[in-house]
Amino acid sequence: MAFDFIKRIFNPEKVEIALDDIQSLILRSRPIPYFGTVALIEIKEPSAGKKLLKALLPLISSAENWHVNLSASIFISFTYKGLKALGLPENSLSSFPETFKQGMAARSTYLYDIDDNDPKNWERTFLHSNIHITAAIIANTEDDWQQKLKEFKETFGAERHIHLIESLDFGATEEMKNVFGFRDGISNPEIEGSGIDNPPGYDKPIKAGEFILGYPGETGIIKPFPQPEILGKNGSFLIFRKYQSQVAEFNKFIKENSSTPEEEELLAAKIVGRWRSGAPLVLTPEKDDPDLGADAQKNNDFSYSEDQLGKKCPFGAHARRMNPRDSKSFILEDGRLHRIIRRAVSFGDIVPPEVTVNDRKERGQFFIGISADAMGTLEFLQKQWANNGNSVNLGDEKDPIIGVQRDGVFTCPTDPLIKRYHNLQTFNIVKGGEYCFIPSLSALKWISELD
Amino acid sequence: MDFLDDIKLKKDLIIANLKEASNDGYDHSITSAGEKGLKSGKVSELTAIANLKPGGAERLKKILEIANGNLGGATNVGTLHDLRIVLLDNDTRILFCTAYDGDWDPYINDFATKIPELMDIIFGNVEGWPGIKSPDVKQFILDHQITATGWYVGIPHLTVNDIRRQDKIVNGINKAIDDANKL
Repeated sequence: MAFDFIKRIFNPEKVEIALDDIQSLILRSRPIPYFGTVALIEIKEPSAGKKLLKALLPLISSAENWHVNLSASIFISFTYKGLKALGLPENSLSSFPETFKQGMAARSTYLYDIDDNDPKNWERTFLHSNIHITAAIIANTEDDWQQKLKEFKETFGAERHIHLIESLDFGATEEMKNVFGFRDGISNPEIEGSGIDNPPGYDKPIKAGEFILGYPGETGIIKPFPQPEILGKNGSFLIFRKYQSQVAEFNKFIKENSSTPEEEELLAAKIVGRWRSGAPLVLTPEKDDPDLGADAQKNNDFSYSEDQLGKKCPFGAHARRMNPRDSKSFILEDGRLHRIIRRAVSFGDIVPPEVTVNDRKERGQFFIGISADAMGTLEFLQKQWANNGNSVNLGDEKDPIIGVQRDGVFTCPTDPLIKRYHNLQTFNIVKGGEYCFIPSLSALKWISELD
Repeated sequence: MDFLDDIKLKKDLIIANLKEASNDGYDHSITSAGEKGLKSGKVSELTAIANLKPGGAERLKKILEIANGNLGGATNVGTLHDLRIVLLDNDTRILFCTAYDGDWDPYINDFATKIPELMDIIFGNVEGWPGIKSPDVKQFILDHQITATGWYVGIPHLTVNDIRRQDKIVNGINKAIDDANKL
């Protein structure tokens, strides 16, 4: 079985952060394949919440030995409302960032969550319920998943002050494909001090403070974090966004703009930035190479430095926009600052490329992104890179996969003329989301013992 | 202002517009540029006034004299249409104005890692400047920023990148025409 982590070499001498205090999800890749559940929970009474935390604590795994596969793990995070519902002291609550306090829906104008993505069209759960806890169970076999889920549910006991608002299952087979039929989640930033020994060709690890609170970031400065130190340090922030994927509409767009099956596959790859197998366009610009796509040692070992005209991978391709690597930059940007740890998981079935009629079934992604400044990073990514073309010198063009658009344009440099495709739609629609705080294990204990 | 004055002002403006205005077909209407500042199309304004440190004015004058308009770091930013520094009140205060594309605050961290020296050489002359790498710098700027009362942009729908790109295209077309005319 090809595990994602084989490319990442652990060196205990390079550990400089408290791995045994940091929640597992921050550093641990998704297992392959994966099965899991996201649970959204409301705390109706502070003491019940603390009791639940005490019961959950032994089940929550740390990032220690992140390089070794875990059969199943549980992860827990809190919204601002959730921290209030647990009765955190006022001076702690006020030490959280303003954007986190306001929440994702209230920040919609700063996130370009408009039109199709406007919070007024979000699912009721995200608008009218009191989501306090976002928890996830993730495992690499169905049995381990069910076992952990059972243990998780047992911690609730018969407590009537804990309300499970919704639980949603997710999963992917060994091919790790999303509902569009593309392998994804391949590239993630490496964190300095996590014990990573970087193989050649991979990014230089990014300073721990960009992803974990209480450590110096890229500027060398420790950014402010929630107080007291036991609460904030070794924690992080998480973005949770539920996307409904419009795969049939995407397939229809591809078919309408291609004349052969080969052209269809090429256009789809140009839009995504990788082929269905995950093979990057820069390494195989003409056709898919499934062996390359499946090879964790090679499928991420590339940069755009030899493709500065975008003839292999267009500047507007989703993967290139979201991780420009060594692309020529048109405005002053530090690519190392806008990375996010992605732990997105798919739900629903894959739609094959020939299907062009929407069956109205629920399918898409739970986008889970982690950063010490998750709110600021999401606002940056949404407004500057996903819904604007200026940093890739493409005027008003938006990201073809996650941009909000009605009659969008996608520019594809080809020989001899540039091709411009029209009538792109919002192919992934936001149906809800929350900002969450991921406390360290010692912070969870501290919260559970608050008076 | 009472109601009649209001009507009269509106009437005067309509008449002035009818007599003297022309229409370029661009949308010049104003939106907000974020927490502070105005935006017309894609172009935003940032206006700030702050006290200078003792000797700050002298240092600034020297820096800007040496630069002689060639602020390479500003070119590097890629979103700056213009930038103006004016010394006020016997060189004790600075008025800083710029027209730029989009938003500045999401980029504050990029300035801190990409052009920290340039930022601190210029703004280090301002009293209380926390340093571009400080977590407080965004709030410091906001605290000194004054939203403009009026904001007009001649070409509101083009960013600096758009203009540079279109300039290249026009030069290319002109060259093709010149080459064709030589035949």
